[in-house]
Amino acid sequence: MTSQLATLVAVLIFPGGLFALVLGLALKGADRRVAARLQGRVGPPLVQPFFDLIKLGFKRTMVPTEASETVFLAAPLVGSVAMLIGAALVPIAGVYAPDTQLGNLLVLLYLLAVPGICLMIAGSASGSPYGAIGFSREMALMLAYEGPIVLIVAAVGMRTGMAEGHWVTFSLTEIVRYQQTHGWFLFDPILWPAVAAFAFFYPANLGIVPFDIPEAETEVLEGPLLEYSGPALGLFKVMSALKAVVVLGLGIALFLPLPFTGPLAFVGWLAEIIVLMLVGVTALRVSAGRMRIDQAFVFFLKWPLLLAIASVAAVALAAGGLS
Amino acid sequence: MPSLIEIVSPTTAPATIAWIGAVLLLAGEIAALMSLPNLKRVIIVSTVAEFGYILIGIGIGGASGDTGAFMHLGYQVAMRGLVIASGWYIIRRTGSTNLNDLVGSGQRMPLAATLFGFGVFSVMGLSPFKGSFSKFLILYAAIERGQWLLATLATVATIVAAVYYMIIVQRVCLERPAQRIELQPAPRLALPIAVVLAALTVLISLWPAPFQHFAEAFAGLTGPSGVPEFEAPWSTLVLIPYIGGFVVYGLGWVSPRLRDVGAVVLAIATVAAVAVSSDLDATSKLFALLFSGISALMIVYSTSYMATAEWANRYYFFAFLMIGSLVGLTTAHELGNFYVFWELMTWTSYFLVIHEQNKKALNAGLVYFLMCAGGAYVMQYGILVVHASIGSFEFSVVAEKIGSIPPMIGLLAGFCFLVGFAVKAGLVPLQSWLPLAHPAAPSSVSGPLSGILTKAGIFGFVKILFAVFGVETLRRFALGGFDLNSLLLVLGCATLIYGEVRALFEPELKRMLAFSTLAQVGEIVAILAIGTALATDAALLHVTNHAVMKTLLFYAAGAFIMRTGIKQIDGLAGLGRMMPWTAGAYALASFAVMGLPPFSGFTSKFFMIYAAASSGYYAVAALMLIGGVLGVVYYSRVVSVLFFHPYRGRSDVTESPIGMLAAIGVLAAAIVFGGLFPAYQLDLIARVGELVALKGALAAGALPSLVMSWPLGATIAMVGAILVLLVGRSSAAWAGRLAVVVLVAALAGIIVEYGRYDMLSLAFAALIAGVGALNMLHSTAYLEHSHAQGRFFAAFTVMIAGLIGLCSAKDIFTFFGFWELMSSWALWVAISHEETAEARREGFKYFLFNTVGASFMFLGLAMVAANTGTFELAAVGPALLKLPVLAVAPAVTMVFLGLVMKAAMLCIRIDYQMHPALAPTPVSGYISAVLLKSGPWGVLKLFVLFGGTALFSKLGGPINGQPVFMEVISVIAGVTIVYAGAMAVLQNGIKLLLIYSTVCQLGYVLMAVSFGTSLGVTGGLMHFVNHMLLKDTLFLAAGAAMVASHASMLDELGGLGRRMPITFGCFLLSGLSLAGVPPLNGFASKWIIFEASFQSGHWLLGAAAMISSLFTLAAVMKFAHAAFMGAPTKKALAAKEAPIAMVVPMLILTTLSVVIGLVPGLLLVPISAIVGDLGFAPIAATFTGPLPGLEGWSPSVLSVMVAIVALILVPWLRLGHRAGIVRSHIHESGAGDLPPAETRIGAGALYETPDAIIRRALFAPKPADKGEHA
Repeated sequence: MTSQLATLVAVLIFPGGLFALVLGLALKGADRRVAARLQGRVGPPLVQPFFDLIKLGFKRTMVPTEASETVFLAAPLVGSVAMLIGAALVPIAGVYAPDTQLGNLLVLLYLLAVPGICLMIAGSASGSPYGAIGFSREMALMLAYEGPIVLIVAAVGMRTGMAEGHWVTFSLTEIVRYQQTHGWFLFDPILWPAVAAFAFFYPANLGIVPFDIPEAETEVLEGPLLEYSGPALGLFKVMSALKAVVVLGLGIALFLPLPFTGPLAFVGWLAEIIVLMLVGVTALRVSAGRMRIDQAFVFFLKWPLLLAIASVAAVALAAGGLS
Repeated sequence: MPSLIEIVSPTTAPATIAWIGAVLLLAGEIAALMSLPNLKRVIIVSTVAEFGYILIGIGIGGASGDTGAFMHLGYQVAMRGLVIASGWYIIRRTGSTNLNDLVGSGQRMPLAATLFGFGVFSVMGLSPFKGSFSKFLILYAAIERGQWLLATLATVATIVAAVYYMIIVQRVCLERPAQRIELQPAPRLALPIAVVLAALTVLISLWPAPFQHFAEAFAGLTGPSGVPEFEAPWSTLVLIPYIGGFVVYGLGWVSPRLRDVGAVVLAIATVAAVAVSSDLDATSKLFALLFSGISALMIVYSTSYMATAEWANRYYFFAFLMIGSLVGLTTAHELGNFYVFWELMTWTSYFLVIHEQNKKALNAGLVYFLMCAGGAYVMQYGILVVHASIGSFEFSVVAEKIGSIPPMIGLLAGFCFLVGFAVKAGLVPLQSWLPLAHPAAPSSVSGPLSGILTKAGIFGFVKILFAVFGVETLRRFALGGFDLNSLLLVLGCATLIYGEVRALFEPELKRMLAFSTLAQVGEIVAILAIGTALATDAALLHVTNHAVMKTLLFYAAGAFIMRTGIKQIDGLAGLGRMMPWTAGAYALASFAVMGLPPFSGFTSKFFMIYAAASSGYYAVAALMLIGGVLGVVYYSRVVSVLFFHPYRGRSDVTESPIGMLAAIGVLAAAIVFGGLFPAYQLDLIARVGELVALKGALAAGALPSLVMSWPLGATIAMVGAILVLLVGRSSAAWAGRLAVVVLVAALAGIIVEYGRYDMLSLAFAALIAGVGALNMLHSTAYLEHSHAQGRFFAAFTVMIAGLIGLCSAKDIFTFFGFWELMSSWALWVAISHEETAEARREGFKYFLFNTVGASFMFLGLAMVAANTGTFELAAVGPALLKLPVLAVAPAVTMVFLGLVMKAAMLCIRIDYQMHPALAPTPVSGYISAVLLKSGPWGVLKLFVLFGGTALFSKLGGPINGQPVFMEVISVIAGVTIVYAGAMAVLQNGIKLLLIYSTVCQLGYVLMAVSFGTSLGVTGGLMHFVNHMLLKDTLFLAAGAAMVASHASMLDELGGLGRRMPITFGCFLLSGLSLAGVPPLNGFASKWIIFEASFQSGHWLLGAAAMISSLFTLAAVMKFAHAAFMGAPTKKALAAKEAPIAMVVPMLILTTLSVVIGLVPGLLLVPISAIVGDLGFAPIAATFTGPLPGLEGWSPSVLSVMVAIVALILVPWLRLGHRAGIVRSHIHESGAGDLPPAETRIGAGALYETPDAIIRRALFAPKPADKGEHA
């Protein structure tokens, strides 16, 4: 029972729940501000996302005439829930190890798809053609980036599992622990293709430029989000903020978990995630232009997928081939 | 009986006079043939030629030669005199000797023509009374002296003579007049002379003994002569129909009705006499019963069929004579009578064939007669050879001594017999009469002609070659040059192929049936030729079954033709509506003849293939199976025409008359009875097998169990199906309700008999019945306005009966029987329900594919049973382990190929491999969700039963600790997961999308199960159940949407979600679960499968499986968007929520899914027990605990967390509701006047980029947009 209680705390307070929400919104705020600076603007205050969220909470709910109300409103809710849980599934090296009862890397991987699914349902349920286009693009993008992430996860899982004497492990805790003693996978040449593939995966998964194709404001007017307003839109913002934490946290756990424990580890982790956000997300999105969906799709089939396959093959070969 | 000579050898040189006679005879007959148009000249020349015979007899001399010569002289005086006198009369009255002018004399001068015909037949050695046997004697003399050449010349001459005699008889006596001719005044003396000579002929035919003694005396023989005894007295069994035939003929002159009654009584009396008779040996008894039984039905049928026909008296007369000769054939215990009846059989049936006396019939009759008589003459030669070598005609004596005659002589005799029998049986290349005669004859006759007359040939093979000669002797004869058995085998196979192929392309119904007869006879002969006791039994079982089935088919065909006048298959469209009973019986017999259970044809086909496999004749078995597939093509075509085509004919067509219906009904009952209770037939047949084994010095193998063992659940479903069908004739609604009740009762039946199943199968069986009841409930609403609902419900129920039976199977026969029952005819009928051209085509394709798949399994199982020597599934495993790899590998491969095909793996031709999209949706759903699970279920069950890893490792391996064999299956499944998953994304047809998705999910199940690890099997089984619930929900929801909107393409739908919220909810939840959204049940089972893949080292397969869930997601989302969300189409605007009968099953299934998602232990605990029961290390599972596997997580915990978090967030969401929800128009960038349909983005417009790339990668071109097949 205590473990369940601990899990509940993990989901609601730390490292998921409230903590992840605040962190995520803060990261968003930082992202907006730094981006503005990079573009030569002043930019909003750091807490702007919090203000936005509160304001949205007091708006009225609007539902398009042709939309199926329950589904339309449930979509952002489910997406946020998935990410709140997801945040509790990401370990923080030396600080937090998720409860195995709640799920492992595979569960996280599939939870990570739920926001995308919710956006698709949102776009589709709204009845808007922009939403439908956004839905179609979201799905196409997912088809493109999910293959690489599955293979990346497999590569890392196998790299760890084989070193630990079984075929594979899908326990992030175990993966983190292994790196803490054996060094970052970031520096493991066999996993370099996987690292490279992950570098392509996360911007697509987070839906930022150059892969913000489903929501492209200038083309489809935020696509799935177009018809949303009020608290429902707020929930989508929450979902998006949480997702940044989860995806970046996943990246850290997979490739560069800090070998410390205690407060130092926590601070280090925070630093890592902030740096990743500013370098990986903000700098990228202000410096790149949006791709077309067909370009992005082909691109993902060409590079990240090949890299990921190469990575898995390398891991398998390094461990002594097929048998 | 004194033996004439001990050993045959050409000791004495033939007298020159004999040679002169032979040359005269042959030259004369040829000259007669060549002078044909001129009747007068023919008669004169042939009379001169006939002296050749006498010269031969005298020239050879000896007792037989001399006696024969003198007898022949005497016979000629009477018979030829009769021909000359009556011929003279006819010629004089017509005023012409030209045959063309004499055509039709039979109608102008009935008496003279009858006498003339009688004379000609007598000269040929045929008559209703015994024929002359002087030629026999002369030939015998020649052979006795070793004058083979003389005998051969004489035989050839006889055959030549038969040709022109037959032409003359047909043209003069039988053909209808082509022109009117003024008759000349009659010559005074000719007719009286002819009458006197005819009487004389009758006398010397009936009582030849005094005449023979007279001839012997004339030849100078005294005392016990050396002339062989040709005939024994006729048995009473013969005399009853024979004399009865004359009586019936007489009655016919009094009153047709009286005649009919008399005929039926007589026919039944004949059967009764045969049945109680005790002096027939096993072979004879079997065939006598068969002959007389089918003949009796022929008489019953004829009472209706011939009610208004011309010359009915004559018809009955010859019919009974034919019955008499057929029965006589079986009563013969020596070769003399055997030959006499053989000839009589040909002659009497000839008159039945030409009964309608039109050009076609006469032509067919001519070919029939000439070929059979020719064959008989050859056989006669053989008979004489035997007697000359052995000195007796008695079967018992021949059987005793045949073993010691020189192989060359024996081979000659055997070959002659073989030719004679082969013609009658219709073996290639002697088959050409058969496809002519069967369709030309009245249908009442074509039935028995196919059913029993060809079997007379088989009787000959069994009786003479196997029971009298014996297999051992035949083998010894092979020293003489070639092996008769091999020849038979080759001929049988050739006939099989020829018949099947010709039938395939035959547009005329009766001809098609005739070709099919060839094929079936070919099968029988090929199996018979194998020569083991088992093969003999198998062939004979099929002889009896085929006789019944084919007679029924011809009788039903006859009824169709009688009622509609149409002979072409295409012309019978929709006749099933007008003649339901006849057509129904036709369909039943078709299914039986295709070899489908639970009908008799299945039993014998199984037996034959088993027998072939037992002797290592795999090629023959395979050939039969290929033939069977062709059979399915052409037989199902007719059934489809009868039932699945719209009726276009006259409106006054009615059901067959009572007499025909009665005969058809009895035959249909026999087919069902034979399928369910073959013991009675087998009992009779086993004794024949023993005889053959005894004679052939063979081991009389024990008969395998050929009884399907029906569990209570399957029995309830099967009986229920029949009731449903009957109720459906009056009330479709009640039929539907009854069907639901039946399935619930079947479920109860399964539970009551739980001990009968192993745990895996019990669980499967319960799901089969349970989900079946839900789908049936759904279909009662789905089909509410459809046609032939009773038929659909019944077929659906039969499928389920098959599945339940399959689960209970403990022996190979039962296993395969139910396998066929679940996936053959019932399935075909159910999925072809819509009766549109596409439905028929697609339904047929799937039927064909199933047949092919089942054929592989059939052969494999037969090989398994044959090699292990046991039918018990429990005993197969240990026995297989002891066998060498080469004996096991092909068999096991075939079986598993069948199983994998069932699961539609490597779905490159989905239109063949999967149930068609046009089938009614509840049955589509059931097939996808439940029925196809028999593939993975079978793989798992048979993997374990066949010996598990221990056996399969012997076949190769291991890779990743898994036998290569199972590894291959895993890889096939893995490839399918990706391929089918990607294909599903491309689909725009409502059901095609779901169908591809089904294949993909079956891949998951099969892959996991074939890993053969505890975790793999656990994950596979869990997904097995989850997919069953989820996919069924998807189908049922799709079905509800289709009924509500009348659409079949996704592009026609849209926005249904607001109108059908429950349906949409069920769909979305199940769809997302199937795609693997945590924490739903579909994800839980997939998670175990992923774990199992990676933990067993299958990281490539595992990754493929993980990636493919994305495809599932894309497909499900496409469906959800196109059908339920987005802007509505016109069709969707009118939609309403589904009726309660549809909603309830969906809700139940969805609820189960959700509950399993929350508490997977509900599934895992029983699965753990099943896994243990199967012999794997059981996985640890508790009701509330985590999933098995490394770092198993607990869906319960996750679900609770999700619920808590969601509950916390809901108030936030509700903040916006304070002032009520605002319904707003969607943003259209200012174009506010666009109707929803204009702004809609349909299924076809989604996923453009992935669509194009997947198409390129999978070589799947964008199809032309045509209905469901797009």
